[in-house]
Amino acid sequence: MPELFSYDFMVRALVAGLLVAVAVPLMGSFLVARRYSLIADSLAHVSLAGVGAGLLLGAAPVIVAIPVTAIGALLLEWLRQNRRLSGEVGLAILMSGGLALAVVFANLAKGSNADFTSYLFGSITTTTRADVVTLAVAAALAVGVIAMNYRALLHIAYDEDSARIAGYPVTFLNYLLAALAAVMVVLSLRIVGGLLISALLVIPVVIASQLAGSFLKTILWAIAVAMVAVVGGLVLAFYAGIAAGGAIVLTAITLLIATMIWKR
Amino acid sequence: MLIDADGVTVRLGNELAIDRVSLCLHAGEFIGLIGPNGAGKTTLLRTLLGLVAPTAGRIRREKATYDYIPQRANMYNGITPLSVLEVVRLGSRGAEQPAREALDRVHMEAFAHRRFNELSGGQQQRVAIAKALAARTDVLMLDEPTTGIDEPSQAEFYAILQSLQRQGITIIMVSHEVESVLKLVTRVICLNRTILYDGPPEHFETDKYLPQMYTAQHRQLHHHHADPAGAPHA
Repeated sequence: MPELFSYDFMVRALVAGLLVAVAVPLMGSFLVARRYSLIADSLAHVSLAGVGAGLLLGAAPVIVAIPVTAIGALLLEWLRQNRRLSGEVGLAILMSGGLALAVVFANLAKGSNADFTSYLFGSITTTTRADVVTLAVAAALAVGVIAMNYRALLHIAYDEDSARIAGYPVTFLNYLLAALAAVMVVLSLRIVGGLLISALLVIPVVIASQLAGSFLKTILWAIAVAMVAVVGGLVLAFYAGIAAGGAIVLTAITLLIATMIWKR
Repeated sequence: MLIDADGVTVRLGNELAIDRVSLCLHAGEFIGLIGPNGAGKTTLLRTLLGLVAPTAGRIRREKATYDYIPQRANMYNGITPLSVLEVVRLGSRGAEQPAREALDRVHMEAFAHRRFNELSGGQQQRVAIAKALAARTDVLMLDEPTTGIDEPSQAEFYAILQSLQRQGITIIMVSHEVESVLKLVTRVICLNRTILYDGPPEHFETDKYLPQMYTAQHRQLHHHHADPAGAPHA
């Protein structure tokens, strides 16, 4: 058995990473298709505000971050549906607003800078057993909701008007997907970090869309690619002694470049 | 009767987009919806489909499968026509065969594996129609499908629409190509916020209902003929 597996924290990190690698690209496939790739980035910044508030209040950061991020996600979706702001502008405002709040809160909650940094860039090797269980429940929820509404979500992702005409509950499903994305983003904070999460949402999907012909295959490829990136990144981090979140994202980008060269 | 709209008024912000429009849509019709820019044609289609709520009046829609194809279906950029069809056919096993058949009905089978954004405007419209066919659409609403499409492709496109109509699909098409529309459709609706004309194409007097549009076209035509150094005839 490789040395890697003799450490409990590495095994937990691998399991947590693989759970994220299933749920995040799965949602990413729908978000990228509807030109909403940046939502994860915006939500991650909002979630950091929640983390900052949690640190300030002395509460568990993740517990505070989930409702804060969910509210941010629903607000964003409301702005988009009511055409108050174009999706892009809303994302940009939410992103900078979230980070601004995060910085202010973290600054006020003096002395926990190291803690805050672990949410910015991830700290997968400090994953606890409880983290893994929470993540497993959330990932199962995401897979279940998406599998049950697969056809409707696919239709909405490509053609919202047509989906509405076909009678799907488009508004409800949009809010549901936004809320799910919010939960997954918060739970992935400790794995890849708030500043890197969107890479795991977007890059595997972009690679997959170069490899697969159909949408379903794109999802499956994206999950496979994300798993390779997570495992590869963790192994790299373990043996090279570098930050795991960064190693995962860099592995994903390397895979993207390799795919682009191969597919040229 | 598929759709029954009665006194439908739509305000978009402060603007009156549609003013007391009443019309019935019957199965098997091929309607050409014409009118100047800003006449509310697109809004009328979207209102009939329930995408826009009327400010006043009421709309009754029979249970049927409707689809709306926008002028530019660029949301499908990057994926292949087969995947576009996947949007509506997925879940059924052996979905590729009906998808290919639908592409075949719009003469796009050969392009099944191209990327959507590599197709011409007319080909994209045909893929969007194939998607509607794969979903067993009864009523097809097209929004200026032939804008920016060259004439031979337009003729092919119109022929496809006619064959769909013969197969029992009801079509409403917004168009600026008044002369082609008059030859094609079974009914013309001329809209400029209110309905100016609703009847058979034979009785539609273009210069009466669309004087501006007609003169503009006429002038353009005239200009072409008068130009001795004009483009070589294809």
